[in-house]
Amino acid sequence: MTTTEPTADKRGTTLINHWQCGVPVTQGPVLTPFLLLLIGIAALGLALAAIRFFSPLGPFSGMNDVYAWGIWKTFNVMTLTALGSGPLALGMAAWVFNRQKLHVVMRTALVSGFLFYATGLIALGFDVGRPWNFYSALMPWRWNSESAMLEISICMPLYCAVFLSFEILPLILERVYYTGNERARVILCRVAPMVRKAYPFVIVGAYVIPLMHQSSLGGLLLLAGTKINPLWQSPVLPLLYLVAAALCGFAFTILLLMIVCLRYSRDLDAGILAELANLLSGVCFVFLAVRLSDLIWREQLRTAFAFDRMSLLFLVESGLILIPALALRFQRIRETPRALLNMSALACLGGMLYRFIPTSIAYMPARSTAYFPSAPELVMAAGYIALGSVAFVLVINYFAVLPGEASAWNHTFRPFGWPRKAAESSPVMPDATGVTLERGI
Amino acid sequence: MSVALRRRQAFKVMIGLGGTAASAMLPGPAQAERTAARSAESTTEEHPAHPVAPPDAIAMLYDNTICTGCKACMPACNEANSLPTDTLLSGGIWDMPLGLNAKTKNIVEPYQDPQTDEFAFVKKQCMHCLDPACVTGCLFGALVKQDLGAVTWNSSLCIGCRYCEVACPFEVPQFQWQNWNPKIVKCEFCYDQRLKEDLQPACTAACPTGTVIFGKRSDLLAQAKERISTAPDKYFEKRVYGEYEAGGTQVLYLSSVSLQKIGLPKLGSTSIGHYATKVTSVIYKWLVGPVVVAGIFGFFIRRNWDRHESERLEHEEKTGYPDQL
Repeated sequence: MTTTEPTADKRGTTLINHWQCGVPVTQGPVLTPFLLLLIGIAALGLALAAIRFFSPLGPFSGMNDVYAWGIWKTFNVMTLTALGSGPLALGMAAWVFNRQKLHVVMRTALVSGFLFYATGLIALGFDVGRPWNFYSALMPWRWNSESAMLEISICMPLYCAVFLSFEILPLILERVYYTGNERARVILCRVAPMVRKAYPFVIVGAYVIPLMHQSSLGGLLLLAGTKINPLWQSPVLPLLYLVAAALCGFAFTILLLMIVCLRYSRDLDAGILAELANLLSGVCFVFLAVRLSDLIWREQLRTAFAFDRMSLLFLVESGLILIPALALRFQRIRETPRALLNMSALACLGGMLYRFIPTSIAYMPARSTAYFPSAPELVMAAGYIALGSVAFVLVINYFAVLPGEASAWNHTFRPFGWPRKAAESSPVMPDATGVTLERGI
Repeated sequence: MSVALRRRQAFKVMIGLGGTAASAMLPGPAQAERTAARSAESTTEEHPAHPVAPPDAIAMLYDNTICTGCKACMPACNEANSLPTDTLLSGGIWDMPLGLNAKTKNIVEPYQDPQTDEFAFVKKQCMHCLDPACVTGCLFGALVKQDLGAVTWNSSLCIGCRYCEVACPFEVPQFQWQNWNPKIVKCEFCYDQRLKEDLQPACTAACPTGTVIFGKRSDLLAQAKERISTAPDKYFEKRVYGEYEAGGTQVLYLSSVSLQKIGLPKLGSTSIGHYATKVTSVIYKWLVGPVVVAGIFGFFIRRNWDRHESERLEHEEKTGYPDQL
C-alpha cells in the first residue's frame, strides 16, 4: 500500500509518483503476434518434454557423466530462480525492514517469482532420471538431513506450492470476488478475513524457506570441491548465492516493472523505483564486499587478476555488478528511466553470471570432455522460459498485478474485510458499483 | 533405519545436555567427565575433517609396479555384477571400454609417457572413501556406506538427480543415459554379490599376479608401507595414495609413476563432506538456525503488519480505495 499522491513531473521525464495499487492491463489485445510466438516456443518445449518423459535422457541432452548437470539445472534452476527471488528480496524489505512503499510492487515480484520457480521445478521434473522415486520426500525418515540437495528438493516445491501461492492468494481471491457470482462473494466474505488473519504468520515461512534453499543452491557446489575453479569454489558460496539471489531479485523486478510499464505505456513511479534502485545498489556493494574479502581471505587475489580466461570471466562478472552499484549511488541516474533500466539489466546479468559460472564454465573436472547443450535441450529450456512469459502476460491481463494509479481501475469493491463496505453498496454487482472493465473474463 | 537414526540423535542430545549440565554443576571434578563427553562427541561427529577408519574396514591395495595389464579383473567384475560388455569400439567383438561408464564398474587403463618409455597401468573403480561425498550429497540415502565400508547404491531410493556424479572427486558414479529406467553404475565392492557371503570382491579374486589384493584396511596399509620401506625408490613420492586423500579411501594405490599422470586427482587430506557441511551442520542442527530466523522475522513482520493495518484503515477512509495485499 502506498500513501503517495501523484506528484508533478519534476525533470521532464515520465517519472512521477503514479503507483498506488495493482491494476490489470485493460487495453489492447491479449493475443499479440509476439505472445503467439512465445506460445509456440512453449508448446514445442513442452511437447519435447513430454517425449522426453517416455525416452531416456541420453538422446535428449548433451550431458555426460563428467558434466552430469546440464542447462536445465544450471540455468533454469540455479540461475533463473535467482531472478525469481524478487518476492524474497522485496518482501524482506517491505515486511521485515518496513519499506512500506514497496508493497505496491510486491504483486509483480510475486507473480514473476512464482513463475520462475514453477518453470524451474518443471525443468527439474524432466531432468531427473528416476522421478517416480520422489515420493520419498513425504517420508522424513528417508531424508538425508545433511544433503543440500534434499533441502532444495523439499523446500523449493514447498515454497512454490504453499508459501508463495499463499502470498499470491489475495490476488486470486480479489479477482474471484470481482468477477464471481453472489454465492462466491458470500463464501469469500468468510474466507478473506481468515486469509488476512493468517497472512502475517504464513509469510514468515515465505521468507525463511527461500533464505534456506537459495543458500543451499550454493551449498550444493561445496561438495564438488576442487572440480570448481578456486575463484568460485569457496566456503562462503552459500552466502554469496543468497546475496546474488537478492541482487537478481531487486534488479529483475526493476527491469520487469520498467519493461512492462513501457510496453503497456504506464507511468512510472520515481519514489518506488528510486527506493528499489537504492536497495539494489546496497545489495551489489554487499555482494562485492563479501566476494572481495573472501578472495583476500583465501589468498586468491593474484589468480583473480591473472588476466587469463577464468580471471577475465571473474572481472566481467564483478564489473557487471560494480557498475550499477556505483552508478545507482547517484540520484540523477536513479531518476532517469533509461539509465535505471540499463543499470538494472547490467546487475541482472552480473548476478546471473555469478550464479551460472560455477556450475558450468568454471566447473572443470579432470577428465577432458566438453558439454554443450543439445538442440532439444536448448528448445526445452527456452520452452520453460516461454511458458513462464506467456503465463505472466496472461496473469497481468486478467489480474490486478502491475502497479498503477488507483483511479485507473475503478474497483469500489473491497477484496478483504468487505462486510462493512459491501453493506454500503449492495447489491454488489460490478455494474451496480460502477466498476467497468473494458474486457471481462 | 528410522529407529536407529532417532536413537543416534537422542544419544547426541544426551551427550550434549549431559556434558553441559555436568560441567555447569560440577566445575571441578567434572573436568574428566567433560573431556570424556567431548571425546565421545567428537567420535560421533558426522563428518570429522580427518575420518578414522573403523577397525573392521576392508580395503583393496593396488600396486601398479606388479600389474601386467592382463585385465583379468574386468571380465570378472562384469560377470559378478552381470554387466553387459562394452563392445562399441571393437565393432562388437571385444569388451573395450574407454573408461568407467554405464557398462563398466572396473577398468585397467594404461598410461604411456609420449616422450619417455615410462608406462604404467591403473585400475579404476570406486574408491570407497571413508567419508564419501556422494553419500553426503545423496538426498534420500540411495547411496550408503555399508558395514565394512562398501559404498552401495539402492535403486528404490534414487531419483536420478546425478548429484553424486558432481560430488565424487574421482568421477566414479556413472549414469545410464541410454536407459529409460536409469541406474547409477558404480563399483559396490561386490557387497551384495560376494562380501555378504564372506567372499572377496571378484576383481581381487581374479587377479593372477597379486597386483590388487583384498584385506583389512589397517593390514593393507601396513603392508603397503612395508613395500615402500623395502624398496623406497620404486614408488612415486614414497607414499600410499588413498591413505589421506579426501579424508582417506578404502582403495589404496602404490604407483611407480606420478599419480596425477595416471589419473588419480591431487586432493587435500580433509574430507569433502566435512568441508561442505561444517557450517551448515551447525546452522541446521535441530533446525535451530531456521527457527531462530523465523522467530526474528515473525517479530518484525508482526510489528510491521500492525502498522500496515492501522495505516490501511486510515488510507481507505481517506481515499476510498481498498487495500491490496
